[in-house]
Amino acid sequence: MTANLLNTLDLDRELSNQSPQEIIAYALEQFDNIAISFSGAEDVVLIDMAHRINPEKVQVFSLDTGRLHAETYRFIEKVREHYGIQIDVVFPDAYAVNNMVREKGLFSFYRDGHKECCSIRKIGPLRRKLLTVDAWVTGQRRDQSPGTRTAIPVIQDDKAFARPDDTLTKFNPLANWSSNQVWAYIRSNNVPYNELHDRGYISIGCEPCTRATGPGQHEREGRWWWEEATMKECGLHAVNTQK
Amino acid sequence: MKITLVKKIKLDGSLCRKCEDVQQKMEAADQMSLIDEVLLADERDTSSPGMVLARRYNVEQAPFFVVEREGQQPETYTVYFKFVKEVLNQKTREEDELKEILNDNPDLDFL
Repeated sequence: MTANLLNTLDLDRELSNQSPQEIIAYALEQFDNIAISFSGAEDVVLIDMAHRINPEKVQVFSLDTGRLHAETYRFIEKVREHYGIQIDVVFPDAYAVNNMVREKGLFSFYRDGHKECCSIRKIGPLRRKLLTVDAWVTGQRRDQSPGTRTAIPVIQDDKAFARPDDTLTKFNPLANWSSNQVWAYIRSNNVPYNELHDRGYISIGCEPCTRATGPGQHEREGRWWWEEATMKECGLHAVNTQK
Repeated sequence: MKITLVKKIKLDGSLCRKCEDVQQKMEAADQMSLIDEVLLADERDTSSPGMVLARRYNVEQAPFFVVEREGQQPETYTVYFKFVKEVLNQKTREEDELKEILNDNPDLDFL
C-alpha cells in the first residue's frame, strides 16, 4: 500500500487504541522507506521496539545541531553499537549557521528566543532528511507539552515536510504514552539510556537550552526556561469545528 | 483555478496573529489579487463560512488556502510558503519557511 492511499484520519482513530509496538509494526509493514527520528533521549524506546519487530528494516537518523551534550553524542554512539545499526547523523547548513552566528553571536537564543536557532540547526536538516523518505517515526508524546492545544495524533499526513505533489506520513507511536510508561519500558527491557537522565534531566535537547529539573517540575521546565510559555494561537478549536 | 483564503477570528473578536502576518506578507508581495475569495472562520460562530470549510476539509489550522482546479479534488494548504511555492509559483526565503514550520508545529521542539 502506498502512502497516498492511507486515510490517516480513519487510521488514527483505529491505531489510537493500539500499543506503540503495534503501531510501529503497522508502520514498518506499510512503508519500505521509513525512518525513525532519534533525539538521543528516551525516544530510544522506538529503536528498541522496531529492532525487536524487524531489525532489517530499522532506519534511524539523528539531528546533530552542533550544540548537543557530550553525553548525548556518547549515547548515540552507544545505541549504534548496542543495536548494530547505522544512524544517519544529519547536520545543519553550515552557511546558514555561519550567517546567524556572525550576525548574532553564539547565544542569540537567550535574547531572541530559541526558534530562529532551532529552525536553522534542527528544522532545516530535518526537512532535508524527510525529503528522502516516505514516512517517519517520532517519539513525540502528548504529555510533553501540555501548554499547547495541539493533540498529537498517532498517525498524521505531514504536509509541512512532504515533497511537492507527494505525501509524507508521520507516526507518533508514543503519543498516548506517559513519561512513566516510557521509563517502565526502558527499565524492564534493559534499554540503554542517556546518562544525563541519571542527573535529573528529563527532556534532553541542546546543551545551552536544557537543564535538569527538580521534583514535581514538568519536563518542559527543563527546556527554554527563560521564555514565557505561550499558547499556540492559530489552531481552529476542535470544539468549534466539530458539529 | 479558484483560490480561497480562510482567516480566523478568535473568541475575543480579533484576527489571529498568524492570519494577520500572512495577510501582511501577501499584501506586500501583491498576492492578494490572486485570491478569489476570502472567508472568515469565526470561532464564535460554528456556522461561519470559514468554519464550515474547515470542517469539510478537516483543517485545524488557520489561515489556510483551498485551491480548486477543474476536474481535480480541491487541495488545502495550511503552510503559507508551500502555497506560495506550489500554487503561486513564486520564490520564498528558506529561513522564513523553516520558521513558519516551527511556529506551526511547536511539537517539533521535542525532536
